[in-house]
Amino acid sequence: TDDARRRLIGPGSSPPTCRARCGRCYPCRPVHVAIQPGVSFPLEYYPEAWRCKCGNKLYMP
Amino acid sequence: ILLSSLSTHASPLSDEGKVLMNLKASFSNAASELLGWDPLSSDPEKDARVHCAWRGVLCDNLTSSVVSLNLSNLNLGGEISPAIGDLKSIQYIDLKGNRLSGQIPDEIGDCVALTYLDLSGNLLYGDIPFSISKLKLLEELILKNNQLTGPIPSTLSQIPNLKTLDLAQNQLSGDIPRLIYWNEVLQYLGLRGNSLTGSLSPDMCQLTGLWYFDVRGNNLTGTIPDNIGNCTSFEILDISYNQITGEIPYNIGFLQVATLSLQGNRLTGQIPEVIGLMQALAVLDLSENELEGPIPPILGNLSYTGKLYLHGNKLTGSIPPELGNMTKLSYLQLNDNQLVGSIPPELGKLEELFELNLANNNLEGPIPKDISSCTALNKFNVQGNRLNGSIPVELKSLESLTYLNLSSNSFKGKIPFELGHIVNLDTLDLSNNEFSGPVPNSIGDLEHLLQLNLSRNQLTGNLPAEFGNLRSVQVIDMSFNMLSGNIPHELGRLQTIATLILNNNNLDGELPMELSNCFSLTSLNLSYNNFSGHIPLSKNFSRFPPESFLGNPMLHAGCLDSFCGSVHTP
Repeated sequence: TDDARRRLIGPGSSPPTCRARCGRCYPCRPVHVAIQPGVSFPLEYYPEAWRCKCGNKLYMP
Repeated sequence: ILLSSLSTHASPLSDEGKVLMNLKASFSNAASELLGWDPLSSDPEKDARVHCAWRGVLCDNLTSSVVSLNLSNLNLGGEISPAIGDLKSIQYIDLKGNRLSGQIPDEIGDCVALTYLDLSGNLLYGDIPFSISKLKLLEELILKNNQLTGPIPSTLSQIPNLKTLDLAQNQLSGDIPRLIYWNEVLQYLGLRGNSLTGSLSPDMCQLTGLWYFDVRGNNLTGTIPDNIGNCTSFEILDISYNQITGEIPYNIGFLQVATLSLQGNRLTGQIPEVIGLMQALAVLDLSENELEGPIPPILGNLSYTGKLYLHGNKLTGSIPPELGNMTKLSYLQLNDNQLVGSIPPELGKLEELFELNLANNNLEGPIPKDISSCTALNKFNVQGNRLNGSIPVELKSLESLTYLNLSSNSFKGKIPFELGHIVNLDTLDLSNNEFSGPVPNSIGDLEHLLQLNLSRNQLTGNLPAEFGNLRSVQVIDMSFNMLSGNIPHELGRLQTIATLILNNNNLDGELPMELSNCFSLTSLNLSYNNFSGHIPLSKNFSRFPPESFLGNPMLHAGCLDSFCGSVHTP
C-alpha cells in the first residue's frame, strides 16, 4: 500500500509520489530534508531523507 | 519569616518534593538556575503540590506526583542522584545539554513509568546500566554526546516499545548485540562515533520498522551483509568510516534508501551497475574506498540525486557524459581517482551544480566552454590533471564562483582579463601551468580574493599596481615567473596580507618603503630577483630572515649609519 516505495519485484527505487500524503493540503510534493544526527566534527553534510511537503509543512511519505 | 521557619519544622514537602531536593543537592551550580526549588518559599496550604510549580517540574493533576522533569540546557554540573529512582510516576526526563558527570545511577531503572529519557550532551561516564532494560514503557533513549564506555547492553532488546536508541558520540566498545536487531518497533538507531567492533550482522534487516541506521565512525570490520537489500524500511544507511571490506553486494539495489553512505571503508571491486536504478537516492557517497573499474554510465539515471561522491578511489575510464543527466546534482566529486579522457561538455547541463571537483586524475583536453552554463557553480577544481588549451573566456559568466583551481595542468595562453569579472572569487589558483603574457590588471578587481597563486608559469610584464585593491587578500604567490619592473608601492595598502612570495622573477628597483605598512605580513620571499637599494629598517621588516632576500646582489641590508653590508648569496 505504501505506493512506489515498496516494490516487490526487481531492484531499484523511486522517490515517494506523495499522493494523498499531506492530508487535504495541495500540492503535496517530495523533497529532500537533512537529518541532523547531532554534533560531530568535522562537520560534513547531513544525511538526507524524503519527506512530502505542502506549503511549509512536512509529512511522512 | 516565622511562618516559613514553622513550616520547615512541619516538613512541608511531599515525599517527591524531598526527592527533588535530593536531586538538586547533587547538582552543582544549581543555586541560581534552580533558585525556586526551595521548601522555605512554600505556601503551607499547598504544601503537597508546591514542588509542582518548580522550574522544569510537571505533576499529574490528580495525584500530584511528578510526571515530567525538564532541566535541559541549564549548565548544571555535579551528578544525577540515585534518588531519581524514587520518582515512580515520572514519564519524561530531559537533562540534555548540561555538564553532568559521574555515572548514570542504576536506580534509573526504578522509574518504571518512564517513556522518554534524554541525558545527551553531558559528561556522563561509566557503563550504560543494565537496569535501563527494566523500563518496559521506554520509547526514546537518548544518551548521545557523553563519555560512556563499556558495551551496549544486549538487554536493551528487552524494552518492547523502544523507538529511538541514540548512543552516538560516546566511547562504547564491543560488538553491536545481535538481539538489538530483532525489534520491529525500533525506528532510529544512532551509534555513530563510538569504538564498536565486530561486523554487521545479516540480522540487521530484522529491524523492519527502522528508517535511520547510523554506525558511522566505529571500528567495524567484515563485509556488507549479502542480504542488505532486505532492509527495505531503511531511509538512511550510514556505515561510513569503518573498516568494512569486500565488494558492494548486488542486493544493495533493493534498498529504498535516500542516503547511502559507505565512504571511508576498504571496499573493493567495481561500483555495481544496479545502483543506477536506485532513483530514491538523494545522497550517494562511495568515496575514500578502494573501488576500481569505470564509473557506470547508468548512474546518469539518478535524476533525483543531489550529492554524488566517488572521490578517493581507484576508478578508471572516462567520465560518462550521462552524468550530465543528473539534473538535481549539486555536488559532484570525482577527484583523486585515475580517470582519463576529457571533461564531457554534457556536464554543462547541470544547472544546479554547486561544487565540481575533478582534481588529481589523468584528464586531458580543454575545459569545455559548456561548463560556463553551470551558473550555480561555486567551487571548480581541476588541479593535478593533464588538461590543456586556454581558459575559456566564457567562465566569466560563472558569477557565483568563489573557488577556482586550475593548477598543475598544461594550460597555456594568456590569462583572460575577464577572470576579473568573477567578483566573488576568494581563491584563484592557476599555478604550475604554462600561462604566458602579462598579468591582467583586472585581477585587482577581485576584492574578495583571499588566496592568489599564479606561480610557476611564464608570465611577463609588471606586477599590476591594481593588486593594491585586493583588500582582503592573505596570500599572493607570483614566484617562478618572468615578471619584471618594480614592486608597486600600492601593495603597501594590503592590510590583511600574511604571505607575499615573489621569488625567482626578474623584478628590480628598490623595495618600496610602503611595504612596511603591511603589518600582517609574516612571510616574505623576494629572493632571486634583481632588487637594489636597502632593505627597509622598520620594525615590521626586521622579522624577515636573510633568506627572504637571497640572490639579489644589488640589495643591501638596512643600515643606520655608514655601516652597511650586502646580503650574501650562496
